[in-house]
Amino acid sequence: MKVQYLIPFVEAAYEVLKAEVNIPMQRGDLSLDKGAYITDDVTVIISLVGDIEGIVFYGFSNEAALGIASSMLGENLSEMNGLAQSGIAELGNVITGRASVKLSKSGFQSTISPPTMLLGKGATISTLDFPRVVVPLTSNMGRITIHLALREALRQGANAALLKVPEAPGLKDTPGKDS
Amino acid sequence: MANVKFMNPFVEAAAEVLAKEAGATVERGTLSLQKSSMTSDQITVLLSLVGQVQGVVLYGLSIETALKLVSKMMGQEFTEFDNLAQSGVAELGNVITGCATVKLSKEGFDAEISPPTLVQGEGIQISTLDFPRIVVQLKTEMGDITVHLALRESPPGSESGKNYVPIAIQMK
Repeated sequence: MKVQYLIPFVEAAYEVLKAEVNIPMQRGDLSLDKGAYITDDVTVIISLVGDIEGIVFYGFSNEAALGIASSMLGENLSEMNGLAQSGIAELGNVITGRASVKLSKSGFQSTISPPTMLLGKGATISTLDFPRVVVPLTSNMGRITIHLALREALRQGANAALLKVPEAPGLKDTPGKDS
Repeated sequence: MANVKFMNPFVEAAAEVLAKEAGATVERGTLSLQKSSMTSDQITVLLSLVGQVQGVVLYGLSIETALKLVSKMMGQEFTEFDNLAQSGVAELGNVITGCATVKLSKEGFDAEISPPTLVQGEGIQISTLDFPRIVVQLKTEMGDITVHLALRESPPGSESGKNYVPIAIQMK
């Protein structure tokens, strides 16, 4: 996976977390993981479709998720209830949305899917043939990890169903031939 | 608001694909609408739709069912849910969803699908948030597959519905 897809996400995460929660983030060391992802307490899953396709996971520890949700909503949340889930999912949505705008500025148009939440530690998520770049972010709220399993779309295969079939030139040009 | 008209393309697609790939006959079981988060099966294949219809499709099945399906698909006995088997099940989800989107586009809803993701681990909560899910049970002789559809029509004028531009491919 190319680094040019990665930087928009790191930048977007940094900006959004700073704006929404006002916490500065430190980026840890990047790593490339080919195995399956073992989930953290809270995971937000968002897919990208378009010039760049793939899946982005945002993994949060429970404390981080609650801390961020509380800070976003200005209310002290002590459990991952519907409101907290919605807040964290929205955070993932905003970060990914912002990253996709940045990507489109560098010429890669993509659309993002609505977020899906996964609650529960220890599930295995496999992105199959997509290797994942793992970006750990540390803050005083707890750990947040961004997993990027993205690639440039294989247009021919992926969207073959949506392609226009070219009209045979002979059919249109010779209407008078048979009559 | 989940839309029932999106359901039939998926049920038809699942029946066609499972019959073709694994020789299974599919019977539609119970149908329900759920708003709370779902508790995952042993295996869940997750795909997103983006376009005029947006949302998430989840296929839940047991490892046993998955192994039987994959064994039939590949003509080789699988006893362990290894990488090849995982890839096979994910591909099945991909093909069913792809087939369903072609049917949807014939009804005037164009959508693109994301690559599949495979979630393993029982009892994990998967929440689609404000998308209510239509849950369809598909019964086959190899076991049950539960299809969860958390789909909605993209709001008119929304970006995701509009910015789809048909692409031109340069043929070599």
